[in-house]
Amino acid sequence: MAKVVTEHDYARGVAVLREQIDARVAAYLSSCVGCGLCAEACLFYTETGDARYTPIYKVEPMRRLWQREQTLAGRIGKALGFGRDLTADDFAAWQEMTYNSCTLCGRCSMVCPVGNDIAYMIRKQREAFAAAGYTPDGLQTAATRALEIGSPMGVTWKALAAQIGHAEKATGLKIPVDVQGADYLALFSSMEIMNFPEYIAALARIFAAAGVSWTVSSQAFEATNSGIQIGSSEIARELVGRVVDAAEGLGVKYVISPECGHAYTAIRWDGPNLIGRPYAFEVVHILELLDQLRRDGRLQTEGFDERKLTFHDPCQIVRRGGVEQPPRDLLAMVAPNFEEMPDHGKMNWCCGGGGGLSANEEAYDLRTTVFKVKKRQLEAVGVETMITACANCRIVMEEALEHYAMPVVIEGVTELIAAHLKPQPPAPTGD
Amino acid sequence: MDTVRATLSRSHRHKEDGAVNHPPTARRRYRRALRWALALLTLILVVPLIPYGLAGESQLRSSSADLWRDARQTIRPDAFRTQVQGDETAVLINVVGDQWRTFRTQTLVPYGGWLLLATVALITLFFLFRGRIRIAGGRSGRLVPRFSANQRVIHWFAAGLFVLLGVTGLVLLYGRYVPIPLLGPEGFAVTASACKEVHNLFGPIFPFAVVAMIISFGRGNALRGLDFKWLLRAGGLFGGRHADAGYYNGGQKGWFWLTLLFGLAISVSGLVLDFPLFGQSRELMAGAHVVHGVVALLFIAAALGHIYIGTLGMEGAVESMTTGYVDAHWAAEHHNLWLAEMERAGLVGVEPNALEEVRRHDEIDFKGFGAPGAPTTEG
Amino acid sequence: MFLEFVEGPLWYASVAIFAVGVVIRLYEILARGVKPDLAPPRAGGTAGALRTLVSRSWTAKGFSSGALFHLVAGYMFHLGLFVLLLFAAPHVVFIEARILGFGWTPAPHWVFIVAADLAFAGLILLWLRRVMHPVLRRISTFDDHAAAWLTFSVMFTGCMALLLSHDSLRALHMLSVCLLLIYFPFSRLMHAFTFVLSRGYTGAAMGRKGVQA
Repeated sequence: MAKVVTEHDYARGVAVLREQIDARVAAYLSSCVGCGLCAEACLFYTETGDARYTPIYKVEPMRRLWQREQTLAGRIGKALGFGRDLTADDFAAWQEMTYNSCTLCGRCSMVCPVGNDIAYMIRKQREAFAAAGYTPDGLQTAATRALEIGSPMGVTWKALAAQIGHAEKATGLKIPVDVQGADYLALFSSMEIMNFPEYIAALARIFAAAGVSWTVSSQAFEATNSGIQIGSSEIARELVGRVVDAAEGLGVKYVISPECGHAYTAIRWDGPNLIGRPYAFEVVHILELLDQLRRDGRLQTEGFDERKLTFHDPCQIVRRGGVEQPPRDLLAMVAPNFEEMPDHGKMNWCCGGGGGLSANEEAYDLRTTVFKVKKRQLEAVGVETMITACANCRIVMEEALEHYAMPVVIEGVTELIAAHLKPQPPAPTGD
Repeated sequence: MDTVRATLSRSHRHKEDGAVNHPPTARRRYRRALRWALALLTLILVVPLIPYGLAGESQLRSSSADLWRDARQTIRPDAFRTQVQGDETAVLINVVGDQWRTFRTQTLVPYGGWLLLATVALITLFFLFRGRIRIAGGRSGRLVPRFSANQRVIHWFAAGLFVLLGVTGLVLLYGRYVPIPLLGPEGFAVTASACKEVHNLFGPIFPFAVVAMIISFGRGNALRGLDFKWLLRAGGLFGGRHADAGYYNGGQKGWFWLTLLFGLAISVSGLVLDFPLFGQSRELMAGAHVVHGVVALLFIAAALGHIYIGTLGMEGAVESMTTGYVDAHWAAEHHNLWLAEMERAGLVGVEPNALEEVRRHDEIDFKGFGAPGAPTTEG
Repeated sequence: MFLEFVEGPLWYASVAIFAVGVVIRLYEILARGVKPDLAPPRAGGTAGALRTLVSRSWTAKGFSSGALFHLVAGYMFHLGLFVLLLFAAPHVVFIEARILGFGWTPAPHWVFIVAADLAFAGLILLWLRRVMHPVLRRISTFDDHAAAWLTFSVMFTGCMALLLSHDSLRALHMLSVCLLLIYFPFSRLMHAFTFVLSRGYTGAAMGRKGVQA
């Protein structure tokens, strides 16, 4: 089993950092002209004015290593005794920039004039820091729990079974568990299970009405991936492997990634590369599935939610995941007073809680400060209801809204759709 | 208003030479100062033209003199025609160039040279006697944001261009008198060629720098009563109590308006000279030369003062334009009203970062300084 | 004598170092390789790469205010320099005589003046921002300043030699050109070539995800 490194070993970090520099990273580091535009896109810089949070500055250890070892000028300089190698102090100093002040939201990657994917580089730098043990305590705890218990928040199957029980009672429907040969395997994030369990009931009702053949797995229900957060491919591989094993064991056609940001990144885009082979199933985000059902006419709603509402684009789903239009098409079914916030879509501003920040107590004050940009967006659009599709965004923003005493309520897409389901006799399953 | 009047009469009571000085209102004083400034400028521009104006009046009577005068077309210049059409093709012998040359060698070069030398001498003497003006009470260590990053970029852009154009321009003006004896004719030929090309290529950028300066630094530079008070006391340059000042003091505002005036004059005349493609007459070119040369020398002399006081002359000044922050004690002495405003906004003793200096800089109400009813320390 | 050296052996040496250096740098990047992406793509990577290659030439929608200075000054400099380099009359003569063997119609003199002024103004403004803005101060390396000053000295010596009358000034200009060519492959100036790779890689990765980046 993969392990979470807790002892500091910067030399190991340097070795891993060296391996992370692939052609993409080398091209990015060669092309950077130090223009600083990435800072203007990053909420950690724009809301604090602290130049250390400039995205490309966050990967300074990587740049220094590359420059010193992989450029001719650097090698000559090293031979002549110029410059200095990375030290333990560098790792200690940069832990804050690598973890506390970056959510891997990727907004910087959208604006770089030479096309650098800086979020990609920060993710790669986390590999080195994770291998060297220079990671925040909160992430270490979350990753250890995920490996040992199966969930970063310590949610066991028993806890999920209890929530499933509640959902069955509330809906009067049976929620299938470990059904061999079902079409869809539904995953959940611990955050949803604990804080927003209405998602489970919503799924049950929608799938019953649309006649979707689905199941939950008692072997692997956790969608979140602490390996991605802490930056360890080894841990990420093990965690995603559990889902793959369960899904392939049950012989499902699709795995549904729930309303959680980085879970989608983990299973949809990183997973096959982590395990080194394509899956025997396809991955679909719940928003994509609902949208498909809508287009097929299998998702029928009635009534409207007259509230003025807006949509917060979760970074890993929209900007880094490519699922931008489906939530909007779904909301259009039930929300006549929908209004986009400024900078909506793939350039929306991060909630400040992704990339492991919500599990990192050291970053609490900072993410509360940077929420000011979301606050300005909400004030500009003038709503009291915000819809989103990520439980982590939701909990982080609810805390921040309370801190700023703002009367805004947050809801999820799935639960909103489920609330307006047209009652239908259940269609035969297995289509 | 009452405060201003009261202050003026207080200063009147303390006047040392006992001269009677009616305390006029600030507005009348402002208008008078403006009239004097305009009169002075006109005088400076017109006086050098008197000699050759007078020269044209000589009326020596003889037939060859008449012929010579006709050929020189100083009388009835329009009476001559030619079949070749074009600018000045009907001009047989042109005297304007020689008039310009005379003005340049007899007036501009010597007077300009004395002006520059005198300025340098005065500054040196001032430094030797008054020394570097230190921050009263030493540095407090508490910083106040003063100029944003964009302001500093624009300032050094204009300043760098000014120095480059000034140096190349002076080389071209004083070539015969200073560089040639040092470098020899061949050496100077290369230098002058390089300087001329640089001066003519960078020159057209300068008007944009001037406009950018005006836009970037205009806010807060309107002249008010307290600025003339400041000027009267020369800001406390010669000891004694420092005068009130807002974001900009009277001296700085004077420099701003001077930059605007001189900058525009030198830019317009420079563009006329650099692009003789639009049918400029010889008279216009000569006139543009006069304006360009006179204004340049005055500008350089004034700039020497600005550079001195901003760097060597006053401790704590240059950092406002390099780091963008100033020490609170420096601000208390030189811009007390502005410091009070910044204290009220909670911007004194801030950590230097981009957010403070760029964002909240725009929130300060500059109009408040020195306006009637605005708080002053003399209350 | 100095002019002959600078336009002869030094010129050939610096062009060789430039050409070989650029090729080696590009090879060093590509040789590190990228692992193939096993996740099923939503759209084509090549289309994404080409799209991003072009789209990063302007600022993202809604991002203009943060980028306005760089957009304007950056293009003033780059476009001005491009026109200067390829269409200034003395350069066209040089290219025809020493590099390509053929030339083209040079730009009229006023175009050259405008381009030169824009290029100078852009470069000076950008470098001043680099030393004045907190973010750029923090992320700038010696390389950034050296590249800016070397480029400026090439342009400045060129300006000094505009009268085309003095060998010493021409030699100074050629010398700074040679120094820039030698410095180029060792510096961030390589972005002139590698931006194709960086924009391409990101565009491909994002394109496969179905994001127009």
